[in-house]
Amino acid sequence: MEFTIRAATLEDCKDISRMILSRCELAEYEKVSDQVKIAQRDLEQDGFSKNPFFHGIIAEVPEHLKSKEGHTKVGYSLYFYTYSSWKGRAVYMEDLYVMPEFRGKCIGKALMSKVSQLGLAAGCTQLNFTVLDWNKSSLDFYLKLGCWDVTSDLGYHCMRCEGDVLEHLAQGDL
Amino acid sequence: MASFILRKAEPKDVSDILRLIKELAKFEEMEDQVILTEKDLLEDGFGDHPFYHCIVADVPKQHQSADSHVIIGFAMYYFTYDPWIGKLLYLEDFYVMKEFRGFGIGSEILKKLSQMAVRTRCSSMHFIVAEWNKPSIDFYKRRGASDLSLEEGWRLFKIDKQNLLKMTNEE
Repeated sequence: MEFTIRAATLEDCKDISRMILSRCELAEYEKVSDQVKIAQRDLEQDGFSKNPFFHGIIAEVPEHLKSKEGHTKVGYSLYFYTYSSWKGRAVYMEDLYVMPEFRGKCIGKALMSKVSQLGLAAGCTQLNFTVLDWNKSSLDFYLKLGCWDVTSDLGYHCMRCEGDVLEHLAQGDL
Repeated sequence: MASFILRKAEPKDVSDILRLIKELAKFEEMEDQVILTEKDLLEDGFGDHPFYHCIVADVPKQHQSADSHVIIGFAMYYFTYDPWIGKLLYLEDFYVMKEFRGFGIGSEILKKLSQMAVRTRCSSMHFIVAEWNKPSIDFYKRRGASDLSLEEGWRLFKIDKQNLLKMTNEE
């Protein structure tokens, strides 16, 4: 299938937001609004100001291949630079998504390859991301690309302190 | 041990930061994995677009460590992003030298990081912990941390440079 991969611009935030919401719906969360707190204007501010918190790339198809609802922007990846205290610069792929009707055409792989290229160009020595343990097709896809499961192999667990827990920590409460 | 200060790391601290990174890696039995140099830390932490930020714990000279160090703890962190909830603070490394534990230094570091997270409107602070590291897990669980790997099934994946190059060359 014909498609291009390019850097996301401010104007793409509307479509990125659309795809983030449909991703949430696909994951069958009952109340999307409970899960997704970020709106189009937040993406614009957080991704396209002087010091962006993330970068984006978009997969776009020509007009004659547009989706059933008329969209030409059919996939995206959000990534940012992180740092390993052992190995230095790293790139983290936060989101990788292709609309269901456009899957199986190597668009996902092309998006991931682009993030890898950009990461290597920035001097990164690794690409990190997370996958849910029930997502067998994704797990297989990534393992076939030469990725390894740090949680499984080294026993590293992803931890979080959020909301009230974060507030209490900030106040010094135990 | 009475006093310590927490302050933003400066370029002159890179030697101590690397020493502490290696000490922590040694504890995790991963010392041979540390290939970072002082030069990397200087370039990546103190340029126009730093890849990381660092807080250090500094004690007065009269309380220096057995091997004469006054920088006796550190935390390395950076900002990340979740497109559902926004900005996050990611804690990459967090360590206090063994002889300085039990004085509340670790708690103060975590408090300072949390305050920074709240001040910069981060929704959450994320980090990883090895499942065998019971003292750390207890430390964090006591403070309300959730284990996303256990509770939601999140697994951290990594691709190294060799496989990244392979992937980009295949396109």
